[in-house]
Amino acid sequence: MQDADVIIIGGGIMGCSIAWQLGKYGKRVLVLERKDVAAGSAGATDGVVGYHTKRPGPQMDLAVASIAMFRDLAGELGENIEFDFTAGGMQPAEDKMQYDLLASIAEEQRTSGVDIRMISGDEARALEPNLADDVYGALYCPTSGKVNPLKLTNAFAHAAKRGGAVIQTETEVTGFLIRDGAVKGVCTDRGEYYCDTVVNACGSWAGLTAKMAGLDLPVTPRKGQLAVTEPVDFFMRATIQCALYNIIKFRPEAIRDKRALKLGASLSIEQTENGGMIIGSTREFAGFEKENTFEAIDVMMKRAIRFFPALENVDIIRFFSGFRPYTPDGLPMLGETAALKGFYMAAGHEGDGIALSPITGKLIAELIAEGKPSYNIDVFSPNRFLG
Amino acid sequence: MKNDVIICRCQEVTEQEIIDAIRDGASTVDGVKRRTRACMGLCQGKTCERLIERIIARETGKNPAEILPNNARMPARPITVGLFRDKEGE
Ligand SMILES: Cc1cc2nc3c(=O)[nH]c(=O)nc-3n(C[C@H](O)[C@H](O)[C@H](O)COP(=O)(O)OP(=O)(O)OC[C@H]3O[C@@H](n4cnc5c(N)ncnc54)[C@H](O)[C@@H]3O)c2cc1C
Ligand code: FES
Repeated sequence: MQDADVIIIGGGIMGCSIAWQLGKYGKRVLVLERKDVAAGSAGATDGVVGYHTKRPGPQMDLAVASIAMFRDLAGELGENIEFDFTAGGMQPAEDKMQYDLLASIAEEQRTSGVDIRMISGDEARALEPNLADDVYGALYCPTSGKVNPLKLTNAFAHAAKRGGAVIQTETEVTGFLIRDGAVKGVCTDRGEYYCDTVVNACGSWAGLTAKMAGLDLPVTPRKGQLAVTEPVDFFMRATIQCALYNIIKFRPEAIRDKRALKLGASLSIEQTENGGMIIGSTREFAGFEKENTFEAIDVMMKRAIRFFPALENVDIIRFFSGFRPYTPDGLPMLGETAALKGFYMAAGHEGDGIALSPITGKLIAELIAEGKPSYNIDVFSPNRFLG
Repeated sequence: MKNDVIICRCQEVTEQEIIDAIRDGASTVDGVKRRTRACMGLCQGKTCERLIERIIARETGKNPAEILPNNARMPARPITVGLFRDKEGE
């Protein structure tokens, strides 16, 4: 009668990570993905696996646990995921005001025991020689790394399949079978599938999927625009965000420029292993609208040249955009809903889903297979939104 | 032997890698792209996309017209970052 022990909806980085971990407990897992593995956010994202971009408190603690897992991940998955765990993360500041704001955020972040320091402009240029001469100083996190998000998602999917999971693509979940306050299966455009445990790993679409089950859970898309350049010779090793990135994220009240605030535009830049530079980004509320706008590209490119004048002659070969699964309090939703038995949430990681994917898979699998995760995730419970 | 043929020249992706991606579940050009990085090079698939469509059609028995093309995104031609420089700020 049952089609699986666990049905995971969504074949993104979360769904595939959870599927892999559940296989270790011998669970029969069916992943239902409406398009294809990695067809959601994984193809339009940066690959920062760092501490310095995380909200101080529970989210930082979760990141510490997740990033610890990256050390052995490539070996466990048996694939190259282009992980560089000492690439470093840096946020250059233009003036003393930005520098001081970063320093005050870093002080809160350090309560989780992470190495995030403030360095001078000269120290920053010694680490990244292409930085502009007038950069005032920078936040620096030597233990922040980077990964290739597409490779990591595909590697999770391959490992999940080796562990027995079935990943069925081109299958869209359209509704749920519910009896006596418990989930009994899902309806799809290819028929019904029966099972008592369902995980909603639909990323930015997780709010829509929850609604099909009658649950009002506020996960909404927050758009980010990106550009990719032609491959160039070695240009930078760290992942770099300008100071406005953390300031917009954690001290928005300090931003005077209305345009920057509305677009949530700051510079984020990294060089991939094949030499291309990924330049971003914005944090916009625009529904599921994917267009690239001149306004956003203009701000991003101006900031790119402002911090890296040598980019001036580099060609952009592609613009694109992706969605971050946003929640109102900036924390993901992890765990079972009290309102609907057997319905688990694993979504809402906003701009940190790549970094948080290993721990999310592990904890959700432990919760489902053993009834209790090895790490307390009560603050992430979706029930905080279900009054 | 024939499978060592490079299909995507910009990214040096071979026919065998594309066949492996299709066996891994790719049924569109984007699916192949996300698994192999084909089409992500300097020409953004202008050279390799048709060839990849044909390989997918051959391997899956689908009609080539049904295979979703690569999600091309602007610009049509590369543009330099310097174009966005603030003129008055100089
Ligand atoms: C510009 C940008 C930069 C970013 N930079 C970073 C970074 O540097 N570091 C970092 O850690 N994170 C970063 N992120 C965030 C990260 O990309 C996301 O948090 C993460 O990819 C979300 O993964 P997911 O698996 O939850 O969602 P997704 O990858 O979107 O997967 C959800 C899947 O569910 C499927 N689905 C939806 N509805 C249904 C349905 N009804 N039936 C079946 N399937 C369905 C979708 O097709 C999709 O494949 C960035 C994001 C953006 C946009
Ligand atoms: S030949 Fe494939 S991207 Fe140019």
